[in-house]
Amino acid sequence: MQRRDFFKTLGVVAAATALTPVVSFAGTPVVSKNAMSYKTAMDAITGGKGATESSKIKLKTPEIAENGAVVPVTVDVESPMTANDYVKAIHILADKNFNSRSININLTPANGKAMFSTRIKLGGTQNVIALVELSNGEFIMTSQNVKVTIGGCG
Amino acid sequence: MSTRKSLIKIKPKKYKDGEVVKVSFMVMHPMDTGTAKDKKTKELIPAKYINSVKFNYNGKEITNMTVWESVSVNPVFTTYMKINGAGKLTVTFTDNTGEVHETSTKIKPKG
Repeated sequence: MQRRDFFKTLGVVAAATALTPVVSFAGTPVVSKNAMSYKTAMDAITGGKGATESSKIKLKTPEIAENGAVVPVTVDVESPMTANDYVKAIHILADKNFNSRSININLTPANGKAMFSTRIKLGGTQNVIALVELSNGEFIMTSQNVKVTIGGCG
Repeated sequence: MSTRKSLIKIKPKKYKDGEVVKVSFMVMHPMDTGTAKDKKTKELIPAKYINSVKFNYNGKEITNMTVWESVSVNPVFTTYMKINGAGKLTVTFTDNTGEVHETSTKIKPKG
C-alpha cells in the first residue's frame, strides 16, 4: 500500500466520524463485559500495594477535551532504560470509564526511552492516571483532570 | 490474516546504529466498545476492539501491549526503539473477534 493511499482513506474516515454525532447514553446503559472500577483495577495491577505519587512521570493530556472520543495522552517517564534500571510497564487508566483500564504497555531496555502516546476515549469529565511499574517492583503514578464537553464512550 | 490498512512510521527517517527512534503504528480499526447503539436500527453494535499489540525487532519482542475498548477509533500507538543493526520490525495485533494482522518494515541504519 502506498503512503498517500493510507492518508486518503484516513481523511475520509475522519470526515465521516466528525459528521456523525456521538450517540448519548439514552435509555438503560449497557455495561461492557470488561467493566472494572478504578479501585479494583489499581489493586489488581499493584497487587494491593498501591502507588506513590511521583514527579518522575510527565503526563501530557489536554485540560479541556472538546470531544471525549479522541483524547491524546502522552506518558513520559524519566529512566535510564538500562538492564538494571528500566520501566517495566506503563498503565493508562481513566477513573470513571466503565472499564477504567485503557491500555498497558510492557517495555524492555531495548526501547531506549520510556515514552508512549496514543488516543483514548473518555465517557465524561474525569481523571486520567498514568501508573508506572519500575524494574525493582516499585509503583509510581501521576494523574491529571480532563474536562470533557461531549462524552465519547457511547 | 486480514487486509486491514496499517502503517509503521519511523522518525527521523535517517538514523544511525544505536540511535533511539520514534516508532508509530497506525491501523484502520473501528474499536467498537459494544455499548453503543446504531442510530438507524437502534441495535447494539457488537464489540470489536484490538486486545493485544506486539512489536518484534529481529525476532526479539521489544514491546507488548494489552489494549481495552477505551482506545480511540483508528488507533495510533507511538513508542520508542533503540536501533541495533539492520533487520526487520514486525508489528502484530489481534482483536477480540480473533482477527490477526501483521505489518513489517525494514530497518536500515546508515553510518
